[in-house]
Amino acid sequence: MRALKKSIPHIFLMAYLLVILYPFLFVLFSSVKTNNQDIASNPFGLPGSITFDNYVNAWVNAKISTYFFNSLYIGVFSACLSILFAAMLAFAVTRMRYNRISAIIFQLILLGMLIPNNSLLLPIYGIMRKLDILDTHVALILPYVANAIPFSVIILAAFMRSLPGEIEEAAVIDGLSSAGLFARIIIPLTVPAIVTVFIINFLGNWNEFLLANYFLSSEELRTLPVGMVGFRDAYNTNYAQMSAGIIFSVLPVMIIYAILQEKIIEGVTAGSVKG
Amino acid sequence: MNKALRNPLIYLIFVIPAFVLFLAFFIYPVFTAINNSFTSWNGISKNINYIGFDNYVTAFNDVAFWKSVRNNVYFILFSCLIQVPLIVIFSLLIANVKKLKGLYKTAVFMPSIMSTAVIGILWGFIYNPDFGLANEILGVFGVSPVYWLSDKNWAMISILITNAWQWTGFYIVMVLAAIIAIPKELEEAAAIDGATGFQRATRITIPLIMPIISVVIMLSIAGAMKAADIVLVMTKGGPAGSTDVMATYMIRYAITSFKHGFGNSIAVLIFVFTIIITVLYQVLISKRTERIEY
Amino acid sequence: MKKSLMLLMTLIFVASAMLAGCGKSNSNGGNAPANEGQTTTNNGGNEAKVNDEPFEITIRHTQVGESKKFRLALLEDVVKKTQDAVPGLTIKLDAVESEVNRKEKLRGEMAAGKPPEVFDVFGSPDAALYAKEGLMLDLTPILDELGLKDKFTTLAPFTVDGKIYGLPIGGSIEGYFYNKEYFEQKSLKTPTTLDELDKLAEAIKADGKIPFAQSSKDAWIPLMTTNNLWSYYAGPEITYGFKTGETKWTDENMVKAVAKHKEWVDKGYYKKGELGFEYADMRNQIITGEAVMMMDGSWANSVFRDPAQAGDMVGKIGFFNMPPVNAGDPVVVMQDANNGYGFSAAVAEDPRKLQAVKEFIKNMWTDEMQLRGLKEDGVLPAMKMDLEQMKTTSDDALMQDIFKAVSEIGTSFPAFDALVQAEVNTALSMGIQQIIGGEIEPAKMLENVQAAQDTANKAEQ
Repeated sequence: MRALKKSIPHIFLMAYLLVILYPFLFVLFSSVKTNNQDIASNPFGLPGSITFDNYVNAWVNAKISTYFFNSLYIGVFSACLSILFAAMLAFAVTRMRYNRISAIIFQLILLGMLIPNNSLLLPIYGIMRKLDILDTHVALILPYVANAIPFSVIILAAFMRSLPGEIEEAAVIDGLSSAGLFARIIIPLTVPAIVTVFIINFLGNWNEFLLANYFLSSEELRTLPVGMVGFRDAYNTNYAQMSAGIIFSVLPVMIIYAILQEKIIEGVTAGSVKG
Repeated sequence: MNKALRNPLIYLIFVIPAFVLFLAFFIYPVFTAINNSFTSWNGISKNINYIGFDNYVTAFNDVAFWKSVRNNVYFILFSCLIQVPLIVIFSLLIANVKKLKGLYKTAVFMPSIMSTAVIGILWGFIYNPDFGLANEILGVFGVSPVYWLSDKNWAMISILITNAWQWTGFYIVMVLAAIIAIPKELEEAAAIDGATGFQRATRITIPLIMPIISVVIMLSIAGAMKAADIVLVMTKGGPAGSTDVMATYMIRYAITSFKHGFGNSIAVLIFVFTIIITVLYQVLISKRTERIEY
Repeated sequence: MKKSLMLLMTLIFVASAMLAGCGKSNSNGGNAPANEGQTTTNNGGNEAKVNDEPFEITIRHTQVGESKKFRLALLEDVVKKTQDAVPGLTIKLDAVESEVNRKEKLRGEMAAGKPPEVFDVFGSPDAALYAKEGLMLDLTPILDELGLKDKFTTLAPFTVDGKIYGLPIGGSIEGYFYNKEYFEQKSLKTPTTLDELDKLAEAIKADGKIPFAQSSKDAWIPLMTTNNLWSYYAGPEITYGFKTGETKWTDENMVKAVAKHKEWVDKGYYKKGELGFEYADMRNQIITGEAVMMMDGSWANSVFRDPAQAGDMVGKIGFFNMPPVNAGDPVVVMQDANNGYGFSAAVAEDPRKLQAVKEFIKNMWTDEMQLRGLKEDGVLPAMKMDLEQMKTTSDDALMQDIFKAVSEIGTSFPAFDALVQAEVNTALSMGIQQIIGGEIEPAKMLENVQAAQDTANKAEQ
């Protein structure tokens, strides 16, 4: 009886797990089937004969490697840059002695959290046009960095505020300037929060679709989400090949997640609880 | 001490990069959007005519616009009424199991790290009427195929399910963290007093995690107002505009029909609606829950 | 935590990692086409000539990807000839995918007032809009000089106030592709009246096949059928009058036409759920033999002639025009030439660039190039061409069918979207999807379109 009672939550959770994981398995199985008929006749299990042609074709047709590295470097670079800028601003606002200006700046940036940046697609498109950088990666990096700033500043500022004042007093007595204090003392102490913010920013950039879709046109510049949608539109009648493409696009993130999952989950929870 | 931390040059250098980007990509666009929303600009011409509130009047008189607003509301209602209870239930379940806790946590979170575009493709595949997983499962129970994305009665719910599939795990992990942070003594004391698991959940845990649930709801609302990519990828707003949300409506008219001014007025409306909903929520609901502390 | 992670890994990652490994090892050769068609620079000896400072013009084209490789080769040949003819000239080729160029890239550049010197453009409504802003080069004097003005089947989509702002690269007609083999097996004949087409569909439906392949996620696809239907019922002239207000969408013959389309939907002549399908799906329905007929542009012939795409169906597909209501009535078919090249107005300020553009036009629009496009790519010529000459160019049976269809045309008309404003197109797109979804009656749907038309007309005054 006791054992039964104990296993009830597991039954529900396993059911939920099935809902989460089965689509992945479905795609995985479909990706080694020969064609649509093969998928239709045996949707749930592995096929009798496994074929890897779909992977070859998907890799060739979809240029996944190009999209992947574009997404990776744009995602990492933008996340790093926004953290650097946000940390500098957070430091200036929380630790330097300009309280009145700092309060105004901080309030303004808080306001930014309320602005749905999706709706600003058109004006930002206009800015990019004026700067003449549409269809370059800069057109994505700039808004990605900017979009991450309000959130990053809020988290980092909250973290920096919680650092005891004695640390910097000691540092200043040791003759450090404020820039030195920032680089040598505050940043190392803020690393846990920085990791959090980095992961969230990176995932946001990695997955971003709207700007990437409208600001870039050249095929070799495309990021993974846009590239995959293009791939779907071009080859959508071949579901087996599509599945292989999906596996390619999902696999790297899965691996990153498998390695970093504790950090990622920690980051998300810490971030949202404070935010 | 004060000298080191009152260096105006350093202060400026530290503040300017982030603040300039912020002004350029948040504040300035809001003002240009407001400005353009009063014009009939086609996005190309050098002549820009100001037409007052005409764009707003057009939007308010357009049935398709209200349809898109309604779909945003569906997004919000679906998250608050269906997703949030599920999130709380599953978080409680995971918090209370001893074995496999880590597996559950890891697995449920997984969809959230994937690109919405890729998830849209994956689910388009699941919804395929001929050999998609959804209809195959229905087939097992003898239900005739559903035309998920082609049928206006099902298309919106299909998108909502996909969206929930992606984000439920994300919020579960957040709520779970809050539950785990509750001091153990509280629950133990209640257990000694003879409270059942259900009573402990409803009387102690849920009230204590209300603040984080409130955050989840806020994030869901913000997410619902922003939703565009999942719709674009799965249905492009179709069939016949039945899955258009405000953001995709804006794109359809502004970018496809040379109606830049009109599109900007929709952008402003999205902005205004978001603020109204946020403020309303803060005033009506959030205030009451904030007082609970532990 | 570690243990559960392992569990999860075994659930998913291991298997997929294995598969990915296999995929990767075979894919080395695959990345080569990524660089295809980027820039063609002239390293040749032009710089050696005296007094000729090097200068550059950019051509924005849309010949991206495997299916357009012949078009690209043709363009590259023209570029080479042009460079050879103009001392100092270097032509930079800038490839952008067609939809992206039309909807985003070019519009962006036009708004900034800085389009490339030569660019791929759609005639109407795009070119007209750009021309009105003074952003496009008036080609009328150049065409007069080169004697090209009367050589084209139609320049209407590129003509604004009597001036010509662009030149179409090829033409197309809309009609039915059909499974010839199936027709022979069932001894079916291509129809000569709409009634016969109806009967055909009925017979095919009764046989358990899908009569018409269609994918309506993008509304322009079903609208090909609607547009051709209304041009029979209400006459092709009606579409010209919508913009001026002389004719109305709510005309009773328009209602009949839309009702006919709806009737076909209601009778189940289209695959259920096609409202969510993408363009490629309907071709697939033909290729797999699931469906028998398909309304599409003649450009689709390249798919059905390519074994890599059409497989066993190559050689088994034919083409016929949508037949008239009454036997013997003239055949009315959508025939247009709306896509081509336009030129930046800024070119006029630089005589050497103007010279380059002139040379480009001279090399691009020749009988030879038009026939080459037809032969290699199945694109109908945009320039007037002797039908017999066309017939000898390609001996492919499907192409012969298309030539025959062209020869049968009594009256041709441009696609509706070239004649009405973009927002009317948006309203009509919405309407046809509602018709297919069974949520509106034809009369009401046309009222909605007329309302959009009225608003658009009013805004233009």
